[in-house]
Amino acid sequence: MSACEQYTDAIDEYVDGTLDPEGRRAVEAHLADCATCRTLVQDLEQLRRTARALDAPAPPPRVWAALANQIEADRGAARPPRIRRADRMRSSWLIGLAAAAAVALVVITASVVRLMERPHTTTEAVTTPASTGTTAAATPESVAGELQQAEAHYEKAIDGLQQIAKAGQGSLDPKVAAALQQNLTVIDQAIAESRAALKTQPTSEPARASLLDAFRTKVGLLEDTIALINEMRKGNSAGAARIVHGLKES
Amino acid sequence: MRSADAELIARCRHGDLSAFEELYRQHASRLHALACRMAPTRADAEDLLQEIFLLAHRKLGTFKGESALSTWLYRLGMNVCLDFVRSRQGRSGRLTDSLDDEEPGAPAMPQTPPLDAVSRIDLERAIAELPPGSRAAFLLHDVEGFEHHEIAAILGVSAGTSKSQVHKARRKIRSLLGRPAPRVSGRP
Ligand SMILES: [Zn+2]
Repeated sequence: MSACEQYTDAIDEYVDGTLDPEGRRAVEAHLADCATCRTLVQDLEQLRRTARALDAPAPPPRVWAALANQIEADRGAARPPRIRRADRMRSSWLIGLAAAAAVALVVITASVVRLMERPHTTTEAVTTPASTGTTAAATPESVAGELQQAEAHYEKAIDGLQQIAKAGQGSLDPKVAAALQQNLTVIDQAIAESRAALKTQPTSEPARASLLDAFRTKVGLLEDTIALINEMRKGNSAGAARIVHGLKES
Repeated sequence: MRSADAELIARCRHGDLSAFEELYRQHASRLHALACRMAPTRADAEDLLQEIFLLAHRKLGTFKGESALSTWLYRLGMNVCLDFVRSRQGRSGRLTDSLDDEEPGAPAMPQTPPLDAVSRIDLERAIAELPPGSRAAFLLHDVEGFEHHEIAAILGVSAGTSKSQVHKARRKIRSLLGRPAPRVSGRP
């Protein structure tokens, strides 16, 4: 067993800070002589720092709405629908939607500002849920190709969602529908701005991330709109109120 | 058990939906992050999150408080995620098989400069390529900050297995991020 192999497990514990003083001294003595393991330690420390900084995006409001419906269904249909409580909540929806519109605007503006401020950074990244891409070194061509694929994917999803949302809009309060439409306009603007930024810097990771972010926001908003329409159609005002409440919080 | 947890759980058991909503809001983001990194798509992750909390709601009566509520939720959540991923893969991969067929990663060449700042997006991609078992251990240890003995309880393995899974995951990620491929053993 080479000296490096002998220390390979201890190096993980060294980086984690879980070695006892004696073990620590032994690793440090090896590191003083071994550039290979010094590099390994630096890499693992870098990895740990980035891993701890990965964010935990709040789930979209429809998850809680669906969950609450399911829990209530679990309890059996013994209880009559709580129409009175739902009626009371109705007026608070609009307040919720106005707040949601404001929040969406802030989020999008922030991401566009970030994009403008740091056009050349490549290390600033926005989290993506479990990506299926490869980690091969990115070339301008591969980045552009991947982005095109992602765009096509989102546009297809958005098309389908928009049709459903449009068909169901009659079920929504006109003021609610107008607020949602206004949100969509803001998001479309962010998409257009991100696209323009990408045209001038096709390989900029922040620009790419902003565009994908905007797409995700749009898909999320459309999905929430459809969930809202469904709850209204089922006459489940409490469920609808939950979604609006969630929109306000997200 | 934390007294705040105990109180919340007691309210949940009495059928107080707003208490369960509070519990959900406290833990949903972390478990959503976990589901997003275990599941192939965002829609799958949302389904998993819903399933995790529905199960939690049904099983809360069996929670005895030997562990922290968060540990209990992670155990339940990780089981749901691993069941899903493994049924999708169509193989009954056990936690201990993952990556075991590979050579241990040899250290990088001495003259290799340290990795540049690792971007979060690249790290996410590398994590997505890990086999489920070592991905689970890596997420719990390096992303969520659990210790090996806690991970052992969450995953139902030994602390030693947790350590070796995290070790392998880190070497694999490092090589995915651009380190030379592991050398075949037996070289001079
Ligand atoms: Zn060494």
